[in-house]
Amino acid sequence: MTITYVLMQNLKRNPLRSTLTAVAFALPMGIFVAAISMVVALIRISESNQQELRLATHHKTTIINMLPEGHRMKIEGLDPDRKRIRAVCGMRWYGGRVPNSQTVIQSLAADADTFPIVYTDAGMTPADTEAWMKDRTACVVGYGIAEQRKWKVGDRITLDSSVPPYLKLDFNVVKIMRTESRANVMYFRRDYLVESLKSAGVEGGLCNIFWIKCADVPSMRSLQDDIDSSFANSPNETKSEDELAFAAGFIQGMGNLPGLMQAMAIVVVVIIAMVAGNTMMMSFRERSKELAVFKAIGFPSRRIFGIVLGESIFLAMFGAMIGIVPTVILLISFPLRQFGFLPIASLEVSPMAVGLSVAIALLVGVAAGLWPAYQALKLNTVSALRRA
Amino acid sequence: MALPLSYNWRNLFVRRTTTALTILVIAAVVGVLSWMLGFWTALSGSLSFAQDQHKLIVLRQASTSETNSAIPPEESNKLSQLDREVALDPTSGQPLKSPEMIVQVSLPRMSDGGRTRANVAVRGLTDDGFKVHRNVRIIEGRAFQQGQLEVIVGESISRQFIGLKMGDTLDLGYSGNRGYKIVGVFSAGGAPMESEVWGPLTTLMNAYQRNAYSSVVLRLDDKFNAADVIRKVEGPTIQLTAQTEAQYWDAQAKNVRTYLFIVSGLVGVMCVAAAFSIANTMYSSVAARSREFAMLRTIGFSGRAIMVSIMIEAVFLSVIGGLLGCAGAYIYLQIMGRTKDMFGASTFTTMAFEISMTPMIVVYSLGAVTLVGLLGALTPGIRAAKIRVVEALREA
Repeated sequence: MTITYVLMQNLKRNPLRSTLTAVAFALPMGIFVAAISMVVALIRISESNQQELRLATHHKTTIINMLPEGHRMKIEGLDPDRKRIRAVCGMRWYGGRVPNSQTVIQSLAADADTFPIVYTDAGMTPADTEAWMKDRTACVVGYGIAEQRKWKVGDRITLDSSVPPYLKLDFNVVKIMRTESRANVMYFRRDYLVESLKSAGVEGGLCNIFWIKCADVPSMRSLQDDIDSSFANSPNETKSEDELAFAAGFIQGMGNLPGLMQAMAIVVVVIIAMVAGNTMMMSFRERSKELAVFKAIGFPSRRIFGIVLGESIFLAMFGAMIGIVPTVILLISFPLRQFGFLPIASLEVSPMAVGLSVAIALLVGVAAGLWPAYQALKLNTVSALRRA
Repeated sequence: MALPLSYNWRNLFVRRTTTALTILVIAAVVGVLSWMLGFWTALSGSLSFAQDQHKLIVLRQASTSETNSAIPPEESNKLSQLDREVALDPTSGQPLKSPEMIVQVSLPRMSDGGRTRANVAVRGLTDDGFKVHRNVRIIEGRAFQQGQLEVIVGESISRQFIGLKMGDTLDLGYSGNRGYKIVGVFSAGGAPMESEVWGPLTTLMNAYQRNAYSSVVLRLDDKFNAADVIRKVEGPTIQLTAQTEAQYWDAQAKNVRTYLFIVSGLVGVMCVAAAFSIANTMYSSVAARSREFAMLRTIGFSGRAIMVSIMIEAVFLSVIGGLLGCAGAYIYLQIMGRTKDMFGASTFTTMAFEISMTPMIVVYSLGAVTLVGLLGALTPGIRAAKIRVVEALREA
């Protein structure tokens, strides 16, 4: 008679309770895996962004106010030997709107020459860069947008702008960016935008933001202060921040979904711990006599301890599986990328998130079984047998 | 005959640990539920004060909000074609049209001590603005004066952002170098406009180097239907676009609504889990008490009375858990702050909300959790009612 056999018999004896517990465990576990996936994905994105060592410089008042494009040369001038700055890429918000719809694509015009250097995470190969430099209407699109709009390399697309003067522009897709951090953004050449703006009679040489690729972290920190102080007291004062701080503002603006998900994950862990603990207490209470019999016929206490703990762990793992597996399948088959709305769009299941969920379930299983198992260990055979 | 309530109450203490654990599960679910209901209430409350059917926001075609709309003054003159439809100012006899400009200022949030900032909308308007936006009242200080460097701030944002108190100076302008003195606080009954800073149109246009309005807000004559006027605005002679206030803010609240739908989905799943948890507890309670129930049947209580009794017990559990959850959410809001602000869908400026634990929310939460308790106790109750008296009594 193996432990597994006893364990299975026990779970099968009260199938109703095992089922109720498993479901009550599985549902919150499904939430947990989704919540933790988003948190993990965002941590991963922000970590990879941090490695990119990019500094964002924008107008001090608000990012909507634009800076003259000449700021790029002034920033480059702060480091003539190119010890601290690798490259500076000016960007202007275009807000491309899909014609005849209200869908706005996160789209920015970027300095053509420095874009591939500043955005190494766009993954531009030499061939991609060549295509980008050759065609003034070239654009690179994140895979999230590409999947949603069914665009592929070589497609010619047209977008309306949602910001004045609402220019309609044609683009040639030269590259689909495959990195998670660039999944929901589109870049095209700023020289193309500037020219089009000029022919529409609007001043074109303005940027919302300058992205500065730095050599290392100390350079980034020193540049942050140097840039802002060099523009201090000018009509176009700047504020520089690293990519993490820059993104934090947006995530807050979107309701701080990652924060919410963290809170949800905590609540859910509390719930599953209670559910599992409750079942184990109940099942121990009803079976104390049986366990006493086991002891009486010579089972060592350690083994009894193992049986109770094993049951708890098994139940938790089973509940976790029926919660995690469907959620993961659902998230993989219906990626939330298509909703575009930023923090949600980055919700992608990762092995790490699944691993973390299983680990939490295991931990809860152990924690819930520990007390009843300890009681079983200490169980006084004679008095337990005499009871009832 | 029904079983006395004290029977149920005392039963909860027989299996103390189980009762406590179940109550905690419910409390955790209700905690999230009541927070979510609080947010929904804040959102719908805010939108319900922006339902003026006779207030029309005219925007540039192709724009998605006031933030990215630009109407040069000469274009706005075309709106004089609407003079028949627009209500007249009773004092001056002029049509009530308010040219407005939206710009932004980035301000530090109070909730995290200024660590993060948000874009707050700054609206420039003429004195006609106050006649068009009828629900706006000055609740502290006074209105700004045209031509001056003075602003008034919305009630909601004044509580959520640093540096928006009466008498403070707010740096506005394209370069952020024009100090505007805050001379008043206004209320819009809770409408999204309370998340804005208002100032004189001309000085703000000058400070932000703008020569176009963002929108023109019209007050329609009661005789006219908004949909007809919108069609005329979009027609060939004017070629602008317009939305009623309700349509405009409804569209801008899309982000917030998506956020809340996600939370609601998660809370829904948690409620189902709570129902299963209650079912589990009640089943075990029923199983342990089968002799007791058989005895009750023998002395004349009906199966139905026993079932009702089980349900009542589950409701006790739910309500205690629910109250604990609401209390937890209340404490959370007190400690972590009740404020929440989110970008409008395309305004790129923030909408500020304040989540409060109103009695209504407590009632709704308890109602929802009672339902969950009843659902969870239904099958255990049926089982208890159907107990076989003789067999159960014979059990050891």
